[in-house]
Amino acid sequence: MSLSDTDKKILQRLQSNLPLTHRPFLDLANELGLDEDLVIERIKAMVDGKYVRRLAPIINTQAIGNSATLAAMQVPDDKIDEVAEVINGYSGVSHNYLRKGKNKELPLNIWFTMSAPTQEKLEEYIKEIETRTGFDVRMLPTTKKFKIGVKFKIC
Amino acid sequence: MTEDLDIKLIKYAQDGLPLTKTPYKDIADGVGMTEEEVIDRLKALLENGKIRRLAASIAHRKIGINSNAMTVWKVSQDKVEEYGKIMAAFEEVTHCYERPTFPGWEYNVFTMIHGYTDEECENVIDSIKEKTGLNDYVMLYSEKEFKKVGVRI
Repeated sequence: MSLSDTDKKILQRLQSNLPLTHRPFLDLANELGLDEDLVIERIKAMVDGKYVRRLAPIINTQAIGNSATLAAMQVPDDKIDEVAEVINGYSGVSHNYLRKGKNKELPLNIWFTMSAPTQEKLEEYIKEIETRTGFDVRMLPTTKKFKIGVKFKIC
Repeated sequence: MTEDLDIKLIKYAQDGLPLTKTPYKDIADGVGMTEEEVIDRLKALLENGKIRRLAASIAHRKIGINSNAMTVWKVSQDKVEEYGKIMAAFEEVTHCYERPTFPGWEYNVFTMIHGYTDEECENVIDSIKEKTGLNDYVMLYSEKEFKKVGVRI
């Protein structure tokens, strides 16, 4: 499935807050000069087509009381996949990536984010990952937040 | 308890709003609240920041935004506040944080930069360098995505 210009227009708009009204998709459609049924149909298609992961409240887990951290590991090439799988198994892990320095080589290559109900639980899970994989995990929590605002230039 | 009802509402809605003409009414029916209460609670949760946004999470790689440069910078402590703000002002910078350093790791400011191409990301990085005079940084491009799911409670 490829996206039409209308799809992109809808997708761009969907990155901002939905109207909190009785008929939000009607109001959104009016904003864009489109038909309500079409908007709902296209959103469904984009969800089915996996262009939209979810149309939902994007939760600030820390504001709800959770603890979270960015974490990094230095893992040799032949162990990367199995270590990644261990990390992925934790439901509190939302992002897990293999990264490589482009302008400079850096030893830390597996980077993931993890959230847990308490700081104690978070540290417990991190220690568990260390024990299960045999590699150290470096925790890099946020000490100051300047921005979090994911918005892509789709159209 | 008011707070428990907020959690109940978030848990119900977090995997996706019903794609119907009246999604908040449908949620209300599902959790046993009135539509008005659902809307009021969502408004309050947005206002107090417990919900960042009520919006779509886009599969950006699927639409071609494949370049994801987590760029880490070494910034002197007295400049962190000033430079952090400069970096955050760029549209393509989706996340900007200060993080701790430790022996062997001196990069304290992290910027997540997304683009359709590496060039796009690097144009932003060049602009940041110009505005701050910073030159000690590493661009850590993502090579493989092991897991990417939305945050859930």
